[in-house]
Amino acid sequence: MDSCDKCGNPQIIIKMKRSGQKLCRECFIEATREKVLHDIRKYKLVDKGDKVLLGLSGGKDSVMALEILNNLRERHIIDLVAVTIDEGIAGYRQEGVEIATRNAEILGVEHRVVSFKDCFGFTLDEVMKNDAKNNRSRHACTYCGVFRRWIFNMVAKEEGANKIATGHNLDDETQSILMNYLEGNIQNLTRIGPKSESKNPNFTVKIKPLREIPEKDIGLYVVANDMEVHFAGCPYAGESFRAEIRDFISELSVNHPTIMYSTLRGFDKIKPAIKREFSGEAPTGTCVQCGEPASGDLCRACSFLKLWSDD
Amino acid sequence: MEIKLTIGEKKELKEFLSNLTVKEMLELLDVPSETVVVKKNNRIVIDEELLEDGDELEVIQVIYGG
Ligand SMILES: [Zn+2]
Ligand SMILES: [Zn+2]
Repeated sequence: MDSCDKCGNPQIIIKMKRSGQKLCRECFIEATREKVLHDIRKYKLVDKGDKVLLGLSGGKDSVMALEILNNLRERHIIDLVAVTIDEGIAGYRQEGVEIATRNAEILGVEHRVVSFKDCFGFTLDEVMKNDAKNNRSRHACTYCGVFRRWIFNMVAKEEGANKIATGHNLDDETQSILMNYLEGNIQNLTRIGPKSESKNPNFTVKIKPLREIPEKDIGLYVVANDMEVHFAGCPYAGESFRAEIRDFISELSVNHPTIMYSTLRGFDKIKPAIKREFSGEAPTGTCVQCGEPASGDLCRACSFLKLWSDD
Repeated sequence: MEIKLTIGEKKELKEFLSNLTVKEMLELLDVPSETVVVKKNNRIVIDEELLEDGDELEVIQVIYGG
């Protein structure tokens, strides 16, 4: 008979892949929260007195990150502000924004919603239409990544936040490692980790408190905790290299259930060596238009904006 | 046996052979068990959980493919 390894409750909700531990609902929630708090200490993701800006999409990862970071806020270790970015994706983003807002409200966390439209004068939907008209075929994720990063950095400065937290999980991180490795983007590998710092003082430090939690466990955590989250895929995700890698890893995981942990552990061991050999060349300049970090005169966000104004 | 099945917005009564586990039922439904959390009679269960006639099953998709 299966029962919880911690408390003996016969109603177990998971057999943990890494440890083989069987846990009931309460013990799973407790153990997962403890694991994240442990990682935050282990990797020194926050220092007492930090102000952390959390990217809150309303999806399961960021909602779980909100709950755990709020735990540190309530213990007066950090100050916390959440920001939701509305990229302007019809039929998708609105629900996420509403759910993010309700979650922040329940916990009493300061929350801001910033839209592409207000910041740049266009929605992501409009950008993609304009691109199609001008026969450009960049993936929506390229723009989304560039403009989201720009907004995070800008809001962090406005709010006086010295850390930016995201909900990246073990699956995301393992995919990034493998993608960059297979594509030979060794330079990108030097930037993967629980905490990314830059020599450029314009950059705010990025932290990933859920980096060692499998995506499935995050889904289980929010359901077990009865949290309201936006379970939906982005309509622009489409077929990408990342999706192929994700399918490949999940196929491997069937017979090798701990493959994601070992990929991450192995990477973390060789990372200092990769960093010694291949770091540098990070943008050290400043965008003449907006003051954000840039490798040339303009940052990537301002370069895109210029391109479109020339259309 | 008859199972009251909820997947997303869709609710239906479905007939299955007896002695199925959650995992076997998900396979019959062609739902990858790695992407869902399953509640039986309103409480979360593991893949090996055995189903009985009249059970209410809720399949919550927590991982979305790109
Ligand atoms: Zn227990
Ligand atoms: Zn700029």
